[in-house]
Amino acid sequence: MYGWTGKLLHVDLTRGTCERREIPTDILHAYLGGRGLGVRLMRDYFRLGPFEPDLPLIFAVGPLCGTNSPTAARLSCVSRSPLTGTIYDCSAGGRFAWRMKAAGLDAVFITGKSPKPVFLSIDPARDELHPAQSLWGKGVKETVAALSDHGSVTTIGPAGENGVLFANIMMGEGNSIGRGGLGAVMGAKGLKAITTQGDGVTGIADKERFDAARGDVMRLFRASPVIFGGLGIAEYGTPALVDLMAQRRMAPTENFRSTFFADSGNYSGPAIRKECGAKKEGCYGCPIQCKKASAAGEALPEYETVNHFGALNGISDLHAIVKANSLCNELGLDTISAAATLSAFGEARGRFPDAAEVASLLADIAYRHDQGELLSLGSRRMAEILGRPELSMSVKSLELPAYDPRGAYGMALAYVTSNRGGCHLRAYPISHEILRKPVPTDRFSFSGKARIIKIAEDVNAAVDSLVACKFAFFGATLEEYGELLSAVTGIEYGPESLKAIGERIYLTERFYNCANGFSHDHDTLPHRFFEEAGSAGEGIDVPPIDLARFEEELQKYYRIRGLDEEGRFGDRDLLAELP
Amino acid sequence: MRDQIYKYTGKLLADRSACADGIAFAAQDDVLITAGAPELAALAGATLSRLNSLALVAARPTLPFADFLIARAGQGEECIVPQDTETRTFLHDIPFLRRKDLADDPAPVLAKLLGNRKGVIVEGVGIVAVGAITVEQAFINYSSVFHSTFVKYLQDLLVDGFRLPGEREAFDSFRRDWLRPLSASGLDFVDALSLEKDEILAEIERVGRYTVERGLVDSFFGNISAVAGERIYISQTAASLDELKGCIDPVPADNSSTTGITASSELLAHRKIYEQTGARVILHGHPKFSVVMSMLCDRKAECVIKDCWKDCPHVRDLGGTPVVAGEIGAGGLAKRVPPVIGASGSAIVYGHGVFTLGRAGFGEAFAAMVDVENFCREEYFRRMNR
Ligand code: SF4
Ligand SMILES: [Zn+2]
Ligand SMILES: [Zn+2]
Repeated sequence: MYGWTGKLLHVDLTRGTCERREIPTDILHAYLGGRGLGVRLMRDYFRLGPFEPDLPLIFAVGPLCGTNSPTAARLSCVSRSPLTGTIYDCSAGGRFAWRMKAAGLDAVFITGKSPKPVFLSIDPARDELHPAQSLWGKGVKETVAALSDHGSVTTIGPAGENGVLFANIMMGEGNSIGRGGLGAVMGAKGLKAITTQGDGVTGIADKERFDAARGDVMRLFRASPVIFGGLGIAEYGTPALVDLMAQRRMAPTENFRSTFFADSGNYSGPAIRKECGAKKEGCYGCPIQCKKASAAGEALPEYETVNHFGALNGISDLHAIVKANSLCNELGLDTISAAATLSAFGEARGRFPDAAEVASLLADIAYRHDQGELLSLGSRRMAEILGRPELSMSVKSLELPAYDPRGAYGMALAYVTSNRGGCHLRAYPISHEILRKPVPTDRFSFSGKARIIKIAEDVNAAVDSLVACKFAFFGATLEEYGELLSAVTGIEYGPESLKAIGERIYLTERFYNCANGFSHDHDTLPHRFFEEAGSAGEGIDVPPIDLARFEEELQKYYRIRGLDEEGRFGDRDLLAELP
Repeated sequence: MRDQIYKYTGKLLADRSACADGIAFAAQDDVLITAGAPELAALAGATLSRLNSLALVAARPTLPFADFLIARAGQGEECIVPQDTETRTFLHDIPFLRRKDLADDPAPVLAKLLGNRKGVIVEGVGIVAVGAITVEQAFINYSSVFHSTFVKYLQDLLVDGFRLPGEREAFDSFRRDWLRPLSASGLDFVDALSLEKDEILAEIERVGRYTVERGLVDSFFGNISAVAGERIYISQTAASLDELKGCIDPVPADNSSTTGITASSELLAHRKIYEQTGARVILHGHPKFSVVMSMLCDRKAECVIKDCWKDCPHVRDLGGTPVVAGEIGAGGLAKRVPPVIGASGSAIVYGHGVFTLGRAGFGEAFAAMVDVENFCREEYFRRMNR
């Protein structure tokens, strides 16, 4: 077999066992890897609560991982989110995914609960659990340093150990498995870290075809202003979006009360480069290298992070923002949810936290001290407890990132139809509504958006299963990635067959969610967006979203998806239809 | 979506790439809609409903070049591989279906081909192209296929001459009836562009319209800019040159802001041209004869370079205009064009298109592009007559 290793490592923490098993080939062909494979492997477990020991925590790479395919040395982590209650996956880069593949694995499937803290080491020679009592309580940096002899490290910080609902799992190289709180799932299992090393190579069925396809991808990267343009993400990282979002009047400010922050220039891409001496960094083997690090090697924040610790909390000091980012990375906290929760808290008490207060609140959250106990629950639960539920700017309890939905109606729809809650990375309409890729669409119109969002969700589910990076698709398309995949695996894949795989994955996720009680009532935005206008300026008006029109398009979306008016499957047993 | 279909039907008519009675669109929102020539519309609908895409156009091109390419293709061949950069980059190759392989219902096999590519040619029927997420995208892909078959056919003719019955007659009628004289006369330009933002934007929009109206570029391909002190005003990526209102980005010279992340992928080339030439404006398009002629090279036989379009280090010459190689965007065109364009005011990029300058305003740049294309057109026919 080319591309895949066909192997899964089954770890039972309760019994302390590690065992390599075969993955049926037809499952790999039908779900690729990453998100798709993980979601498929959840089939018998998706009803389990996020903190039930038998709930699996799955790490899965894709068939392109280990080859020279651009941006494909990534993995997906899949489980059920304690923050949202939905099925959950997150794509992450770093060296870990590549090493895991080199260790001979397509997936690691972890269940159970260890009575004492442990870490898992993966090695082609021997997969093993080790005591980790001495690492429990340690920050991310120290843990990574302590385990670096074992290869690449992924670990939780204090936030994950303490069950913070938006705790991340952190990759040793500074990347994170973010948003839905999978760090808390890992913590509840008593698993502090995983290390991996190996030297296997991923076979390629047709090298010549592979090289041609890779050439096509690289040419499209070079032709894309967003990727390799002089002002693009390879140069400035995702904070290249700061100026754009300010100009478009869609930068969420002060808990989304407004959409423009006059001081955002302080943390724009060029400002970060100037102030922090940003240099290029990135995921392993990625030609784009969109991540930035300071001269001292400290990971610099992404766009969503600078906006949320910045505008969303009314903070304009770049260094305070960078510090908040570093602190989150060290404690193992999701930056978007952390900053958004602080912001909702700020609005509730009538005062947003200032730069100095942010740092102490973040530590309180990770250790669940004082007010941190409340904040560790995320904005939805916190706002409800404070009696101000309307102040949580979240969908399905996942805090909205830094794209105001009043400024892009596809984004508004995408937030609510995302299976993991308010996330920008599912349909990712920013690509066409703002960045004009592959073609521009009218951001202030719902026309056609239901279909566009549906197609994009399918595309991205495939991308997350390859596992490639979303940013590659600011230039390349499934045409070229289908070629790469066909060349690597020797099996023919093209855009339509990949989209069909994506659709299968998306629907499976939705089906799981429906079985767990999600429906139309959860597919909505906070009322603020239907009632209050954003900040007008530069000839751009940002009115509230028309609720009736929004609802009409959502119903269209359901019809296109083959769902009923409640967004559910009726009597249909989807899983019985799927491989 | 109907308004979109109406709009892009109009564009196909205006640029004369599709026959008036042979255009159909299909689009799917929550329901499938089709419009246009009934038979083609039925085919478009039946094909699109099998695809996870939003729109599709099926139209009969005004020129028989695509069909000729199929008829000229070898027995086992299943696709055309165009050589020009833009189509090479975005389309890769263009699959086709021969008349004899058309079943009663070609939709399923068409859908299968379109499942992998943006556009296909169906012999005797026309060009069918999909838009993954918009109607416009289907139009753009149609336009790309039309452009690339046009260029490839003319290129192949130069090499192999006529081979099929009817080819010469069709070619003569193309030359006599389809082609129109290309000129800049009667157009209004601001002689010396001021530094006023509003004037600059208005002039760029107007010039963009001219380039399309005069048939110098298809509406999608190309970019335009003007420099004013510390700022470059440049058309955005994926912008139609005849619809630039609201699609021009001001980019500060010192990169103090990144709003220009949406600017054309040739921003860097434009910037370097300004730095090296002191020009005020730049016009860039892909006029077809220039693209064809740029790929002729008498060293081909002995040269060891394989990817001429990006790797050729030589500067060749077409009627006084330098021809250089170079890829789009961050791929080298920005290195090779700026040093050569200053002297002549224009440059051709191998297999790609033409850049021209204006020292005071767009009049000079526009006239220069017309001249380059006219020279290439005449030179093409001169060689065909040999
Ligand atoms: S583009 Fe950035 S996030 Fe994506 S794979 Fe490359 S370095 Fe990682
Ligand atoms: Zn309801
Ligand atoms: Zn061009």
